[in-house]
Amino acid sequence: MRGHRDLKWVCVAAVAAALVACLVPWDVVRLLAALPLAVFLPGYAITVAAFGSKRLDPQRLAMLILLCGLSLLCLGGIVLNFLPGGLRTVTWALLLVLVVLAAARAAALRRLKPPARPSGWTRPRLRGADIACVVLAAVLLVGTLVFAYTPLPAGKAVGYSALWMLPSKDAADPALEVGVISAEHGRQHYRLEARIGENGKPKRYHLMLDPGEEQVIEVPLDAPAGKKSHVVVSLYDSDRPHQLYRRVTTWTAQPGEG
Amino acid sequence: MSSRDSRPSGRRQGLLAAGPSPLALIVLGAAVGLVLCAYTNALSREGGDPTQLVYWIGVLLIVVPIAARISMEDVSLRERFALVALFGLSLYAVKVIRDPFLFTFPDEPIHAYNANQAMIHHGLFNGNPILPVTSGYPGLASATSALMSLSGLSSFTAGVILIGLARLLLVLALFVLFTRVSGSHRLAGLAVVIYAGSSNFLYWGVQYSYESLSLPLLVAVLAAFAEREAAVPRLVRSWTVPIVLGTMAVVVTHHLTSYALVIVLVLLAVIYRLVRSPKPNPWPFAVFTAVLAGGWMLIAANNTVDYLDPVFSGAVTSIWNTVFGQSEARGLFESASTDLVYTTPFVARLITLGAVGFLFLGFLAGFRQVWARREKKPFVWLFCLGAAGFFATLALRFAPEAWETGNRAAMYLFIGLAFVVAYAALRLIRKGPRLLLRRAALLSAIGVVVIGGAIAGWPWDSQLAQPTRITADGAEIESEPITLARWIGEQLPGRKFAAADADARMILATGGARAKTGEALSIKTILEESSLINWELPSLRGNGLGYLVADRRKVSTDPGRGSFFYVPGSPKHALRPPATMHKFGEVPLARTYDSGNIVVFDLRNRP
Repeated sequence: MRGHRDLKWVCVAAVAAALVACLVPWDVVRLLAALPLAVFLPGYAITVAAFGSKRLDPQRLAMLILLCGLSLLCLGGIVLNFLPGGLRTVTWALLLVLVVLAAARAAALRRLKPPARPSGWTRPRLRGADIACVVLAAVLLVGTLVFAYTPLPAGKAVGYSALWMLPSKDAADPALEVGVISAEHGRQHYRLEARIGENGKPKRYHLMLDPGEEQVIEVPLDAPAGKKSHVVVSLYDSDRPHQLYRRVTTWTAQPGEG
Repeated sequence: MSSRDSRPSGRRQGLLAAGPSPLALIVLGAAVGLVLCAYTNALSREGGDPTQLVYWIGVLLIVVPIAARISMEDVSLRERFALVALFGLSLYAVKVIRDPFLFTFPDEPIHAYNANQAMIHHGLFNGNPILPVTSGYPGLASATSALMSLSGLSSFTAGVILIGLARLLLVLALFVLFTRVSGSHRLAGLAVVIYAGSSNFLYWGVQYSYESLSLPLLVAVLAAFAEREAAVPRLVRSWTVPIVLGTMAVVVTHHLTSYALVIVLVLLAVIYRLVRSPKPNPWPFAVFTAVLAGGWMLIAANNTVDYLDPVFSGAVTSIWNTVFGQSEARGLFESASTDLVYTTPFVARLITLGAVGFLFLGFLAGFRQVWARREKKPFVWLFCLGAAGFFATLALRFAPEAWETGNRAAMYLFIGLAFVVAYAALRLIRKGPRLLLRRAALLSAIGVVVIGGAIAGWPWDSQLAQPTRITADGAEIESEPITLARWIGEQLPGRKFAAADADARMILATGGARAKTGEALSIKTILEESSLINWELPSLRGNGLGYLVADRRKVSTDPGRGSFFYVPGSPKHALRPPATMHKFGEVPLARTYDSGNIVVFDLRNRP
């Protein structure tokens, strides 16, 4: 690939991007490496391999880079699916680097001589006013995205609480895990009553949850061994303490299974 | 490129140099347009009912300046190219800022599930409980999993980036295709802008779905094919590489798009023969694509026929019944969901009808232009056929079960229509008296066409964002179906659920569990009826389902509206009778989860 600066850069960039994607733990940095590695570098390499010494104009080059890059992603997974290892970070990185290297090698062989200019794209001349407009637009765009991605209060949306009950996985003795999730608009006080068996004495718990908070309590099962018990857990909120708010039930001798 | 390209005169260039260039101003205008769209969506996400006028002004701030500039004569090819890219990405951003937190369009959670499964199992073809056919076309899941693997992103973020790239490819490929066929990059730019009037351009066509990726690939293959036809002999083989690669990608990504590609290539082969084109007939490409698409269907996606057969036979039956008065015609601008019907305001209807009217006038005038030129280019014939076909599909909108087929077909046919109408648009703004007035008329018509298309393609009440994630006392809380899905993901991963459409989709995408819905195993009936029939619950158990999600919200069966916070007062937030929920307690079944409107019953846990 001597003399073909664009191909050399593409190969170096692909290897570097693959290393970053595989080794760096930060997602943002990995994304900056993943996008070129996944789409642009293979797309460019395949395009120049196909066209050899023919210089494409920017619009056709851009279209072909995207077409070849995206097509490779659609097909690459199917190839990896039938290879040992399957679809993983390492196998994807390896496949894409191999494609880039092979296509760049093919392009170098097809080109009769190194191109006089690395690309047909000449840098546009930007004026101060243009730069100011584009910077302002970029600031607006970033602000818009941040604004769009920021959750807002919605007073009309009805808040709610969720109550759930499942067999405890961690407790040494048989027990049930009972959880309360608050998606109410403000801090909420609850009373929780757990009754084990038809004639069991209810166990009472008092909870206080902020919006978005979840609390899990462990309710021990002190029913006679081997006997099937009906467990009823009821939730009341402090605003209407005598009106049932939520209820979950289970029969303890027959755990649920999906 | 044989395109006509003139440069501004020196004096004019000097005057322009004093201030920012038109392109820079247009970029700024597009950013301001997005701010308006984000602002209106934010008001809507707060649970309010903001006027959509501000939102549409935002969209127009993106569309009209670009259309105005792109239709000018003295604009360089490079600037037009940049404008086209800006146009595609800006309108895509409108959809992204509408759904910033998670996928809410009906097909999106289904495909997100496929991508997540590819990551979990390190392989494709993992099956899909709601739309099994999607598993046999893993192109989208493959591409998404590549981005997810290499970047560590979620399927949502990777999907948003991927569809953004696909949208960029679509507009660039349309531009290259139209430029090659017309020989004018001015006409090509206008045609791309007019294509945004397709009813699925703003929303449906950019949802995270396999067709959103395959359609751009199809257009790019056609553009490469058109370039190949015009290439010097030594470059013919070079263009074959992207054509073959793109065709293979289309075939493994989406069934209907691959069949559309076969139809287009067959039509081209026929047209080549009819016009006695001196170029080699493209029938080998048609055969190649047909063999690939057929082979893929037989080997990897053999449930495709089961999926498509009811869609098309239902459409044909519906057309027949509507034509012969055996069933009522579908009301236009009505979006039916369960027993609720959502209507579109009068002004919005008027805009949409105006858009169709403008397009029809444009088609007639454009077709006249093409006819007068005695065009013999096969692609021009193909586009004229497509344009005529578009108006035929409008009739399908009157048949209840055929309107969606017509709506989806329009995405393909509109490519031809945009090209033909662009001829008329150029004719309208030819040099002569009252040019300013004619330009204003054209830009107004383009504005109406783009907004009318968006209104025709997506229900009026769903144009703006709805609350999915909000803040309360400074903390973030999510809607009932999303909280349920996250709870399932944490507590019951890998379990199998029966649920209403909207809930099942959230369980798939957010919870990562398997959920069946709709008519499968009579789940819809079981959830909606006030009493149970003896065989119903045993049937669910017998098919391996462990839990049943009962949801009193009527919108829970509407995958486009059922994932949001409950906002009382709106007709779409009506509840089913309490008996629909109580019937499960009478069986009795254990209640595992209760959030008020949604209760999860354990099908195996009984006395």
